[in-house]
Amino acid sequence: MSRLEFHDVHKSFRAVKALRGVGFAIESGEAHAIVGENGAGKSTLLRILAGSIAPDQGGMSLDGARVRLHAPREALTRGIGVVHQETMAFPNLSVAANVFAGREIISRAGRLQERAMHEKTRELLARLHLHVSPDAPMDSLPAAHRQLVQVARALVFECRILALDEPTTSLTDAETEHLFAILEGLRARGLTLIYVSHRLPEVFRLCDRITVLRDGTHVSTLRRADVRPADVVRAMVGRDLPAREPGARPALEAPRLTVAGLTRRPGFERVSLALRPGEIVGLFGLVGSGRSELLETLVGLHAPDAGTMELDGRAVRFRSPGEAARAGIVLVPEDRQGQGLLFNLGLADNLALPSAIVRGVVAIDRGGEKRSGEEQIARWHIKASSVEATPDMLSGGNQQKVVLARWLATRPRVLLLDEPTKGVDVGAKYEIHGIVRAVAAEGAACLVVSSDLPEVLSLADRILVMREGRLQGEITAAAATEESVMHLATHASIEAA
Amino acid sequence: MRGLWRIREARTVAILLAEILFFTWYLWPDAGRAHPFLNGANGLLILKYSSVYGIAAVGAAMVIISGGVDLSPGAVIALAGVVAGKLFVEGGHSLGLSLAAGLSVGIIAGAVTAGLVVLVGLPPFIGTLGVMGIARGVAFIVTEGRFFDVSGLLPPGWKPMGIPVAWIAPAVMIALGVGFQVLMNGFQWGRSVYAVGGNETAALYSGIAVGRVKTSVYLLAGTLAAVAGVVLVVVQGQGKADLATGYELDIIASAVVGGASLSGGRGSVLGAVLGTLIFGVLRNALPQIPGATFYDRLIVGLVVIVIVVMDQLMARPSK
Repeated sequence: MSRLEFHDVHKSFRAVKALRGVGFAIESGEAHAIVGENGAGKSTLLRILAGSIAPDQGGMSLDGARVRLHAPREALTRGIGVVHQETMAFPNLSVAANVFAGREIISRAGRLQERAMHEKTRELLARLHLHVSPDAPMDSLPAAHRQLVQVARALVFECRILALDEPTTSLTDAETEHLFAILEGLRARGLTLIYVSHRLPEVFRLCDRITVLRDGTHVSTLRRADVRPADVVRAMVGRDLPAREPGARPALEAPRLTVAGLTRRPGFERVSLALRPGEIVGLFGLVGSGRSELLETLVGLHAPDAGTMELDGRAVRFRSPGEAARAGIVLVPEDRQGQGLLFNLGLADNLALPSAIVRGVVAIDRGGEKRSGEEQIARWHIKASSVEATPDMLSGGNQQKVVLARWLATRPRVLLLDEPTKGVDVGAKYEIHGIVRAVAAEGAACLVVSSDLPEVLSLADRILVMREGRLQGEITAAAATEESVMHLATHASIEAA
Repeated sequence: MRGLWRIREARTVAILLAEILFFTWYLWPDAGRAHPFLNGANGLLILKYSSVYGIAAVGAAMVIISGGVDLSPGAVIALAGVVAGKLFVEGGHSLGLSLAAGLSVGIIAGAVTAGLVVLVGLPPFIGTLGVMGIARGVAFIVTEGRFFDVSGLLPPGWKPMGIPVAWIAPAVMIALGVGFQVLMNGFQWGRSVYAVGGNETAALYSGIAVGRVKTSVYLLAGTLAAVAGVVLVVVQGQGKADLATGYELDIIASAVVGGASLSGGRGSVLGAVLGTLIFGVLRNALPQIPGATFYDRLIVGLVVIVIVVMDQLMARPSK
């Protein structure tokens, strides 16, 4: 008898069919991966498992008995713990309060037993090798620790099934190792793990079986021993991926954007770089090395302390992203939900807005915007029911394409991209890479910030490496290897040694 | 028909019509007597009294759509009214100059609010609460408890631009409601207001001058409240300091009943104006029901809740 089984699960969000008859079983004590492109239905399935949404049709059984969950609480009390991608936590409360939220230890008089919860939290955190105070406010913790607090929460509820949705997206390698060691330990004690990820190396390392979803349907459930990563990728995207083209190297033209000695403490210091038309420059560095702040300063979101910027040889200084965009420099931000999209407006408005600002539109041409929106949706293969749909009806990869498309519509001369494929699946990632190459081929200068080393290596013509707010060096694509780039990103430069 | 139903303003019109039908039926007179509710004079009366709320609601709706809230319109209405009234009645200035002075009071109030919210960074609730107190306080200082009746000093049968005085207030309300509805929906400025209310950070990253948009919204809201104030003293003649006390909450309620969301990014100017008419009809019809006198505030409160809940139920996607 399986520990958990999905039976013909269907779920639609308005016109979008997120799940179309998904059924598979997860055995007791196994580590089971669920993989698929963005929009494949992984997160929807987890939300059904967590009891936060109900399926339209079908359902699941736990240890052979059919269950129907009406609230996340019911999932927890039945031993199902789900750690969501956007960690659902109370940032203003303490670690202990987060761990015990909804299951507080209460005296018979109704008083919170702070000390008991504090002690229990300390014990759980020690089991997870997490050395933080139970009284620390949640928002003082780095992302990796917040994730582990959510795991601790699942343990308080004595979960027998622990599901994690993309837990390593914002973790460093060392933090990922730590998480994996903990997950291995939990599994050894009989916990059933469900691991949702795009990162196949992690999946192959941790999981016994792999379920592939595509477009809301179950493609296959494979045993790790029987397959190679390439087979899984093929099952995910339904086709073979194109091999990377070397790409035409741009001619040595005069720089489009020159930055000299740009400083904004404590983010970054004395950054100098030049971007030529048609070139894709990668900016690699670990999280916290000052890259996002550099891009935000370039488009006028922050004022620099020192340094100059020249666009086509003319000194420029921007006070807002609007000014920068009018001059032709645009930023595709990292956080598509918080910085990129307007969820109260339809796709036509979202797609049209930056170009309307740049062109100084006064009266809106609704018909023209609708047509151009439809054209962009078709050109960039954005999966949406219509241009009137709001962005929340789209999967993450399609949302990202909308953020990219709305800025490309302004025909930028300098395109700054901050983690353009963060949390995006293999298929959408290749599509986004293709789009960036096409934009560069048309003559835009592109600067791509990414923590994804293979991405930087495959996309960039040359790679700048940043560490602790300073550029450490530059490597041409031809000479770059994972080791050489990583070395610059993590080690002190020679002058400092 | 289903397409029409999806337009938020159409649903508000339907609620208003249902309300009018109900009172027409409920207050149906005995044979041979005139209908106390459904007659031209009463209709004009409802429009006239609602228009003070309606004009200010145009501004309040834009503030709410931009993600803020405005507690000052009641006090600004009063201050604009007494300033215009004092200059005209006591100062002996021309009507045009007095009204212009009243309007500039609103512009100043809007500018102060914008400064507090945009430059100082106060939450709109706090900033407008302060402006509400200041405006009401200045109104008391200006009047020293006196009363300025502008309408009594107007020439009898006065028809500015050929419009009878009784029609001025409704005409101004309708013109402003329609004008700002078009501005909010057909122009980039209006879309920017929706964008700022929906997600201020994303609006900034999209190139919108967020500070400028918010400043313009608060300036307009102050100015529109002052328009409501001068209309009030001209049409109803009541230039006193405790004028329009508590209107701010009725105005916010009208905007919400008309489809605005207090979390920002959603709402309609025309809906807010229609919302003031829904309350205007209630305020007019309830006192005509024998024994209902003490119930009207209660009923108004229930109506807000019922309409918003109904709207949430209907806004759910149908399968």
